[in-house]
Amino acid sequence: MQELDDRIGARFEWMSRDELSKWQVEALRKAVEQAKKSPWYASKLKEAGVEPGDIKSLDDATRLPLTSKDDLRLSYPTGMLSVAPEEIIRMHTSSGTTGKPTAIFHTREDVDNWAELMARCLHGAGARPHDVFQNMSGYGLFTGGLGLHYGAERLGMWCIPAGAGNTARQITLIRDFHVTVIHATPSYAMHVAERMVQEGDDPRSLGIRIAALGAEPYTEEMRLKLQDLYGFKVFNSYGLSEMNGPGVAFECEEQDGMHIWEDSFLVEVINPDTLQPVKPGEVGELVMTTLRRTGMPIIRYRTRDLTRIMGDGCPCGRAHARLARFVGRSDDMLIIRGVNVFPSQIEEVLMGHKWLGGNYVIHLSTKESLDQMTVKVEIAKSEFDGSIERLRDLRTELGRQIREQVGFTVNIDIIEPGGLPASEGKATRVIDERA
Amino acid sequence: MYNEVRVFVENKPGKLSRVAELLGQAGIDILALELADEGQFGVLKILTAEPARAKEILSGAGIAAALSPVACIEIPDKPGALVTLSKAIEKAQLNVADAYGCILERGKRAVFVVKGENLDAIEAAARDAGLKPLDRLE
Repeated sequence: MQELDDRIGARFEWMSRDELSKWQVEALRKAVEQAKKSPWYASKLKEAGVEPGDIKSLDDATRLPLTSKDDLRLSYPTGMLSVAPEEIIRMHTSSGTTGKPTAIFHTREDVDNWAELMARCLHGAGARPHDVFQNMSGYGLFTGGLGLHYGAERLGMWCIPAGAGNTARQITLIRDFHVTVIHATPSYAMHVAERMVQEGDDPRSLGIRIAALGAEPYTEEMRLKLQDLYGFKVFNSYGLSEMNGPGVAFECEEQDGMHIWEDSFLVEVINPDTLQPVKPGEVGELVMTTLRRTGMPIIRYRTRDLTRIMGDGCPCGRAHARLARFVGRSDDMLIIRGVNVFPSQIEEVLMGHKWLGGNYVIHLSTKESLDQMTVKVEIAKSEFDGSIERLRDLRTELGRQIREQVGFTVNIDIIEPGGLPASEGKATRVIDERA
Repeated sequence: MYNEVRVFVENKPGKLSRVAELLGQAGIDILALELADEGQFGVLKILTAEPARAKEILSGAGIAAALSPVACIEIPDKPGALVTLSKAIEKAQLNVADAYGCILERGKRAVFVVKGENLDAIEAAARDAGLKPLDRLE
C-alpha cells in the first residue's frame, strides 16, 4: 500500500499557484495531444486550426474549441475515445439521460486518478483511514456510487456500499458498524433524519462525523439544519460524469467554497452568450478541460452550471481555486433526486400520444424531504371517446415511459382541455415548489 | 341502441357544476348521471333525451365529451321488474360491464341502461324476455 500522501496525491494538493500554472500548461498540451487521437477531436482541432504544440500558455486555451453536451451526444458512442478499446476498463453514462445517453470511458490510469481525487476530497473534509464510510448513493452507471466508493477505499476507510434507499437498513448499518462518514444527497439525508425523529429517535445518536452531500443543489440553510439535526459537518461536493463524476470540487474544513482540483481540471468561467471569459470573480458558465484523463479527454466542456471563482486564498492554504455556490444553470435542466432531467425528455414522451393535447406542466414538490415530480398533461378534446379504460391505460403507459426516461417514479395528472395555463416558452412548463 | 354522453372531468371542486350549468342553460334535462371515478380524474356518464345536442353544447364549451353506445331497456316501474331483465341477460350468458337506471314515469316506466361487450345481444335477450329496447327517451 502506498503511503497516504501518495494515495491522495498530496504533491498536487499542496502545489503553489505558480507550480499549478506551470503544471497546467504542460498538462493542457498533453491533453490536447491525447484528445487529438479521437476521431471527434481530430476533426474539431483541425477545424479550429490548433495543434497541441500551439499551447504555450494558459491563455492559448481560448483558441481551443468548446465542447457541449450535444457534442457528446453526437459523438456517442465512441467518437471521443482516445485510446485503443482494450485499454478501457470502465464506462459510465450521464445520470438520468437514458433517452439521449452520453458515455464516458476510463482507462486504468483514469480510474486510478479519479480515486485519488475523490480520496483527496474526503481527506480534505477530515475523513481518515480509520473512519467507517457508508455510501448511500445509487451504484451502477451513475457515478456517485463507484466514484465515491473507489475514493473511500483509496483513502483506506472501511466502506459500506449501502446504495440508495431502504432507510431502515441504512440506519441499522450506520448503527451496527459505527459509521462516521456518509455520502448521500442532501434531500435523502434530510429524509433519514425526519424518519428517525418521527420514530422518536435522535439522528445525533448515530455518531456520524462527516457528511459528503451533493448531486443536487442545496442552500446554506439546509446545510445548517442538517448539521444541527445530526451533529455532523456537511461538506458540499460537486461533480459531473463528463468530468469523471464526484471528486471534481469539494469543500475543505473551512466549508467556504469548493476547491476544484486544478491539477486535473482546467477551469474557465465564460459568458454563456458571448462565450468570452468573464472578469475575475464574475458569475458565468463553468467550462472545464480534463487535464489528466487519457481514455476520453474532454476539451473546454460547457457545464451549463453558473458560478464564480472566489477571490483571495483559502485559510486552509490550498491554492486550488474555489467555486462559489451555484446560482443556476444556463439551460433548462432540472435536478430531481440528484438526477438530471430535461423537460424535453418529458415532452418527447408526451408528443408520442395522440390522446394528449400537447400542453403540459412539470410540477415539482417535496414530500417527506424527497423530490416529487408530477407531470400534468391535457387530453385532446377531439380524441376523447368516453373510454375510461383508455384513460387508465394512458396514465399507466405515460408513467412507465417517463420513468424509463428519468429513472424514478412520477405522478401523472390528466387535465381537461384548456385546464393548464397556456404556455409561454419553456420556463412556464416547470413549476418548482420544492422546499 | 342508444347513446349516453361521456364527459371527462377532473376531480376538482366546480367541475361537475360547470357541466350541469351548461346543460341546464340549454334546457337539457338530465335523466340519470353516474361518475366513474379514477382518483385524480373521472368520466361522467349522462343519460338524457338529447344526447347529441348535449355533446355539442359541452364540446362547444371546450369540454372533452363523447357519445358512447348503450342499451336502454324499458322495464315496468314496479318491484321485481328488474329480475326479468337480469335473468334474460344471465340466460344469454352475457357480461354486463356497467349499468344504472332511472324512472321515466313513476309507477309506470323505468329504463335500465346497460353497457357490455355485445349491446345487440343484450337488446335481443331483452326482446326475447318481452322487454323493449329504446332508441329514444321521452
